[in-house]
Amino acid sequence: MQATSRVNAVSTISLDPPRLITMQPLLRARGLTKRYGRVTAVADVDVEVYPGELLGIVGESGSGKSTLLRLLNLEEPPDGGEYYLDIPGYEGDNLFELDRFHRREVRIYHIGIVYQYPHLGLRMRYTSSGNVAERLIMTGERTFAAMRQTARDSLAASEFPLDRMDDLPFKLSGGMQQRVQLAKAIALKPRLLLLDEPTSGLDVSVQALVLDTLKRLQRETGITMVIVSHDLGVIRTLADRVMVMRQGRLIETGLADQVLEDPQKAYTQQLVHAKL
Amino acid sequence: MTPSETVAELAHPRQDYSYAFLDEFAKRELRRRILKAIAIPGYQVPYASREMPIARGWGTGGLQVTLSLVGPGDVVKVIDQGDDESVNAANLRRFIARMAGVETTSDTLEATLIQSRHRIPEEQLREGQALILQVPIPEPLRWVQPSVAKTREMHADADYALMWLVLYEQLVRFGEFVTGASYPVIVHRRYLMTPSPIPRWDTPKLHQAAHLTILSAGREKRLYAVPPYTDVYPIEFDDVHFSVERQTEGVCQMTGVSHKYMNEIPQPDGSSRYVLSDTSFADKLLKQKRGERVTIGEIYFDDKGNFYHAGYLKS
Amino acid sequence: MAYVATRGGEKAIQRAEQLYRALNGAFDADFVRAIERHMPYLMDRVMGEGSLYAPEMAALALAQAGGDLYEAVLLLRAYRSTLPRLAYAEPVDDEALLAVRRVSAAFKDIPGGQILGPTLDYSHRILTTQVLDNGHEASRPEPEAAEKPAPTNYPSVSGWHRLTGLMTRMEEHEPPDPAELPDVTREPIVFPASREHRLQSISRADTGGILALGYAGMRGYGLTHPTVNEVKLAYADVRLRHPITGAVFSAGRIRVTHTEVVSTSADGLELGFAATMGWNEVKTIAAAMLDMEMSKPEPHPAHTEEFVLYHTEPVEASGFCIHFKLPHYVTFNSALDSIRRVRSRREGGNRLQQMIQTAVKEKAS
Repeated sequence: MQATSRVNAVSTISLDPPRLITMQPLLRARGLTKRYGRVTAVADVDVEVYPGELLGIVGESGSGKSTLLRLLNLEEPPDGGEYYLDIPGYEGDNLFELDRFHRREVRIYHIGIVYQYPHLGLRMRYTSSGNVAERLIMTGERTFAAMRQTARDSLAASEFPLDRMDDLPFKLSGGMQQRVQLAKAIALKPRLLLLDEPTSGLDVSVQALVLDTLKRLQRETGITMVIVSHDLGVIRTLADRVMVMRQGRLIETGLADQVLEDPQKAYTQQLVHAKL
Repeated sequence: MTPSETVAELAHPRQDYSYAFLDEFAKRELRRRILKAIAIPGYQVPYASREMPIARGWGTGGLQVTLSLVGPGDVVKVIDQGDDESVNAANLRRFIARMAGVETTSDTLEATLIQSRHRIPEEQLREGQALILQVPIPEPLRWVQPSVAKTREMHADADYALMWLVLYEQLVRFGEFVTGASYPVIVHRRYLMTPSPIPRWDTPKLHQAAHLTILSAGREKRLYAVPPYTDVYPIEFDDVHFSVERQTEGVCQMTGVSHKYMNEIPQPDGSSRYVLSDTSFADKLLKQKRGERVTIGEIYFDDKGNFYHAGYLKS
Repeated sequence: MAYVATRGGEKAIQRAEQLYRALNGAFDADFVRAIERHMPYLMDRVMGEGSLYAPEMAALALAQAGGDLYEAVLLLRAYRSTLPRLAYAEPVDDEALLAVRRVSAAFKDIPGGQILGPTLDYSHRILTTQVLDNGHEASRPEPEAAEKPAPTNYPSVSGWHRLTGLMTRMEEHEPPDPAELPDVTREPIVFPASREHRLQSISRADTGGILALGYAGMRGYGLTHPTVNEVKLAYADVRLRHPITGAVFSAGRIRVTHTEVVSTSADGLELGFAATMGWNEVKTIAAAMLDMEMSKPEPHPAHTEEFVLYHTEPVEASGFCIHFKLPHYVTFNSALDSIRRVRSRREGGNRLQQMIQTAVKEKAS
């Protein structure tokens, strides 16, 4: 509920609150485009995320939000656009132009991802702790004790019960599986964490717990997050800023409160009023 | 040329085989592949494996390498499970001798080429000797990734983390590394390699060896090599180490020695006896006991189980 | 303290072979000729899988192997390994094949017609026991010559599809120089495989293996609903170019099978193709289907190119299968060692140590 004068003063999307003006964005992407045959999944989308921020990308299915996330995770080559992350060793590099080796390096060391379906992000028949330890092994860790410790720390930070750290994911509940994914994603303390519908398909009560964990994680570690969801409630709970997508295009972007309370575009208005 | 001559009359009589069975093109290709394998230690080189007069899976890969390397001056030893007299070894040795007209021996020290299935002899091999190991499955990543196309990419990227994850899982589940024979190793600090199904006991013998090792899989059509004096390290953790089989601590019934690889012989009462797996080594020891003249080479592991490269085995 | 060693391996091998020959009986050139004359489909299977068209050698291989099909194929392949490559034949146009049998399930009638040819497809599968009782078959009438002879060449059905736009036309290009084509018997196959390697591998694949995987596709593990566009049992002229005059002449004729299968999707017709030396309908129909399956963007795991081509290699598959009879006691002992280690750790005891100590004590006594 904003005061009328404040609402009227917000006239353009580009007016950022003062605290962010002095900081360098962690993530800058321009003109992201992706086509599959004749279908354009993502059309000329810009993304900007500041350190410690949580960006929510909301849209219906077919909006291109998951494809956008996959582009940001360097999983697929784009059909257009540039992508920069403020990470050590890669400042100023367009990540889409990296060779296969460096692309892998960035994905291992600097980006964590949590998928909607746990089987996409986890080895279901290896231990949960092993799933986390694998991230360390990929960076050259060869000390078993260190692997155990990091697995414990990461699982604890994801609020996963340590007495089950050696359980196999296929035996865990959906919410637990997501916590293992989360632990795996943050094991190497990357600067950027991407989450694709992390709580869809979970019970409402479990959802709330997982969202709590994410909030706490953000608060305590200052990690930067990009969350994709069709659920406005999730976005409302977590996001600092919001991007609204429809059929591959960016419809509206801005502070979460502003966009959700006072949507400017017709589509956003429909979305907000239908869902809330 | 009279019109009544038939094709049969015009053609050569059926020819015997070329030297060492393989034709010159096949030998040339194999030699080039072997050179490439030596140039890239541990890297699996694909080759067009010829069908041999023995079944696939029975040593056609090792046989093709031996036949492309052998010359009239060579002395060839063939063993299977460490035994020169095993039926399969005898069969292969017979074929090589017939095709190449070479001398054969059971003495590890006398041989210039040793073709072996699943064992490395107990006596140290020296410079100038080549050990040819028969390999059923050349891909060390096979058990974690069945697709050949994907494993090629993994080798290109040195994407081997999954192998250490398997070790991690073994420790969590069993408290031990449980991989037995075919223990994966890293060669020349780059390629992950399976040393073929030799026991863990034999794996250290590949490290900084004086001899050349060539490993060949005929059915899978890959060969690879460990050149002399190359680093070969088994995968392990800094704080949990690779170790050899404990059955080697048993005592050989025939010769009384210990700290060598043994064959376990089950007894009717449920107990077991142990006998040296390396039969020609056992023969030498017995000869020595009987007071006969025999030359026994330096051994890789001494009577207390110490490996000749000090500090290599950490447990 | 009895210690039993299996020694004298070479003697054992020789005796085993003698026993084999004694049990299976000696064979002579007449027997080999009888196989060649009276078992043409078995011969064709061996030659197709052996990838060597040499009827006399194939018959000999079958006689020598006592009828063991995998052994016969191995014998033929091993023989093939010793043969140098003398020349490359001119490519064979499928419309130039001399077909004796040509059927299509796609149309009731096709240009050129449907010719049953020599087939038992519609016969009643009844054993003719009178051969055993009478010593010979009942006399059969000689086949009469038809008034109008069947054509020797047939226009291709898929050619018609292309003409009518139901199937994408193929680009016109010069026929390739056969000497330049990839050859799976001279180079190792790498995946994804070239078209040449795929088709060559199929033509020499194990009939049973191809049938099993193809059948799975037909039953629903694949997404294909195939129609047999054309099956041709034919003779192909092996045409060579004279090295000096350049004249093209026929060096002889071999039997070949040429099969095309189409899948019907709303977008159009897709073609699966397989051919082999010798007459083998079962293999080529299943293989043509698998050709389609393997070309899909996301085939069933058992229908990926890698899976199909690796596991339908008769010499490799049968050889590796029976290699498990070889001694594996070194690796087995190593595995037992691991089991005992884990067990002794779990039981907190030292059973392995005890076993070893018992052996040491006994030796000392």
